[in-house]
Amino acid sequence: MNIKAPIHQWQLSFEGEWPTSVAFLGDERRLAAGNRSGQIYVWELPENPPQPQAAGGKNSKNDRPPDFPPVRRLDGHTNGITHLRTTPDGRTLVSSSLDHTVRVWDVDAPATGEAEVVLDGKQRENQARRTSGRKRDEILNAPGTRVETVAATHVLEGHGGWVYGLDISADGKRLISGDDQCLSIVWDLASLEPVSSWHGYDRVWVRSVALAPDGKTAFTCEYAGRRSSFDVPAAQARLWNADDGTLKMDLLKIWTPDVNDRNRTDSYQYWQKWRKLLKRGLVCAAFSPDGTMLAVGQGGETDTGKVHLVDVDSGKILRTVSGHRYGVCDVKFSADGKYLLSSGRDTTVRICRVSDGEQVAVLGASRGGQFKDWVHAIAISPDQNTVAAADIAGMVHVWQWESSG
Amino acid sequence: MKSICRTHEHLSRRALLKGALRTAGGAALMNWGGLFHSDAMANEVKKSNKRCILIWLNGGCSQFETFDMKVGRPTGGVFREISTNVPGTRVCELMPRISQRMDKLTVIRSMRTSQIDHPGGIYLMHTGWSRTADTRFPEIGAIVAKYCGDAESDLPNFVKISSVGDAGSGILGPQYQPFKLNRDGALPPFSISPLSAEHEARRHGLRDFVERQYAARHRADPVRMHREAYDRARRLNNVRHVFKLDAEWEKYRDKYGDSKIGRRMMIAARLVEAGVAFVEVGQSGYDTHADNFEGHKSLVPPMEHAWAALLDDLDERGLLDDTLVVWMGEIGRTPKINNRSGRDHYVRSWTTALAGGGVKGGLVYGASDKDGIDVKEDRVTEGDFFATIYTALGIDPETENYSGVRPIPLAQFGHKVVRDILA
Repeated sequence: MNIKAPIHQWQLSFEGEWPTSVAFLGDERRLAAGNRSGQIYVWELPENPPQPQAAGGKNSKNDRPPDFPPVRRLDGHTNGITHLRTTPDGRTLVSSSLDHTVRVWDVDAPATGEAEVVLDGKQRENQARRTSGRKRDEILNAPGTRVETVAATHVLEGHGGWVYGLDISADGKRLISGDDQCLSIVWDLASLEPVSSWHGYDRVWVRSVALAPDGKTAFTCEYAGRRSSFDVPAAQARLWNADDGTLKMDLLKIWTPDVNDRNRTDSYQYWQKWRKLLKRGLVCAAFSPDGTMLAVGQGGETDTGKVHLVDVDSGKILRTVSGHRYGVCDVKFSADGKYLLSSGRDTTVRICRVSDGEQVAVLGASRGGQFKDWVHAIAISPDQNTVAAADIAGMVHVWQWESSG
Repeated sequence: MKSICRTHEHLSRRALLKGALRTAGGAALMNWGGLFHSDAMANEVKKSNKRCILIWLNGGCSQFETFDMKVGRPTGGVFREISTNVPGTRVCELMPRISQRMDKLTVIRSMRTSQIDHPGGIYLMHTGWSRTADTRFPEIGAIVAKYCGDAESDLPNFVKISSVGDAGSGILGPQYQPFKLNRDGALPPFSISPLSAEHEARRHGLRDFVERQYAARHRADPVRMHREAYDRARRLNNVRHVFKLDAEWEKYRDKYGDSKIGRRMMIAARLVEAGVAFVEVGQSGYDTHADNFEGHKSLVPPMEHAWAALLDDLDERGLLDDTLVVWMGEIGRTPKINNRSGRDHYVRSWTTALAGGGVKGGLVYGASDKDGIDVKEDRVTEGDFFATIYTALGIDPETENYSGVRPIPLAQFGHKVVRDILA
């Protein structure tokens, strides 16, 4: 990844429920985004974007990047999308959802129908508020965008609860999904059959998952939201053998060596220890492209959410980087493994150098106030020149590095 | 111990004189019956052996994530509805066990209360009154302890386990103050004497002697209260076994769910069975201004598991018909989902639930509008709610106690008892 000055190239309207996930589909001009009501849209962006639309009159700082309508809607999920992932060839999209399913999509599949959609309802309402009478009705009732509708090719139904975690190995052969019943399943992507699975404690959720590039090692963070049981620790961070679901390494044990095993219960003392490391659960995780490192992000509403870089062989935390005010939402490594991108509840995407942890760029800016929206998910285009981010304020942002624009 | 009526509880000297003077002066007889009504009514209610368990959801549980879902609406959130054992009634998917016990519940979907923040809300929903500078309103627990409790019992009549509220017994006097157990339901450390029985008896003898001497010369209330507090603590020794519930928990852990709230509810059931008139069980964490859905996802399942077990357990032991189970917090939560994925405080339209003794089962009372913004029908205020609870327990909500010379009814002025939900 060649980090230069970023150009905010597109700001795609995706209003209604929160955009929660985003993924590139093979190249930097084709992307998909999902939201909290279960909708997934696909955009095919033109090569040369138009000039930014002036939004604030003379003040060029308020110029808004151009918008562009989606071309497809992927129909099937009935509740919020939690993650979108694509295979390395960009032809298969996989989505996980609160509707207890994982769906597999052929992004080039023939359309099954057509629909008219309105994704800028909030903008229309704001605009209509400044007008009255017939003009107001015209704005509110203007035709929407016509999109093709597509159905999923497969529905994976091994889960009985919210599917919180999803990842595809870099070799494109395996998929992992984890749910709020503390069940993790590794799937073979060709056959879509389970390879292995394992179950954690009751009432503890699999909050994030990641698969090593070769699909042999899996990471899960399990987290219970509130302490509820006397005997069960409310959080776990573990590495698993993805072939057979056996435990490979208990990372929390390595990170808290001074805690006796029998004290690893739901005690206040242990909670104080792990809470410093995990905050409100490690909500996002990613292996580095060479598989030697794991990045895990501290989620939930916390003062400053950081990302731990973990050595996969030893399980030790090498360094802690980034720092999103109020918590991290997503992490991704650049393809060369030199940079770590993270998004958070401070409406920014932060880019840190992996070698020394230094922050080298920030995309977006804090919107002010104590609590203002989240950048829920990020994606990096296969050519590494474009970054997309799902913003809960009802937008998908697309940035491109200046040199490549 | 004998029940001793104290003047400040029922009849102040000034009130008596005032009443007598007015009568002598030819004025209408001023609430003469009411001056004695409170104690007579208490004796009558005690015969009915009614008990009450309050499940307190501290911070304010969301109506949208429990009993008043708005699926498909902008205010609906991410959970889905499930059917219940009452045809036509649906509840949140987080409550699979309670959904199969809806025939035992009355859900009030039309609460409209007046205190939107926690301190005010906690006071309001424990006493039925807004906090004022001049009157110390008693908590519902103290009222039930007074009117339904057994003053002769060595057990406390008002027990709290991991709950909140600081109103206490208010004007009812110190003998109705709550006895607070540890968060795990064990007796608090202060209740366990480090002395041997012999030493304890000698120390008690000495203290009793000194206090009698002192009390003979000082007839002030604080002296009496001090003696009563010691006396209650000593009597607790006779019933210490009632609180030893570790073995019972091992037996019932699976039934109640292996959770802290499960253990507390099991203890509540055992205490009620042993004769405690009122037990309040708390679960904290519902103030979900951020991550509301995850918050409720973590809190509601262990709570509803335990709640369902509590209803079954009381039923199996033949106690449910005489035990009113109240489910509530201090506030509801906003229809609007904020940009922290949270819901804020809301009292314009929210939900409570009742089960067991004195109320119907399988009933949903009142309704909110399509987005849960306002009450659509059958509004229930805090005054109505408390008056209905007292009536279900056989206590007349008009019963008066005195704050100085001022008569204070149990339930707010202008309340209406919601007769439709009473059995």
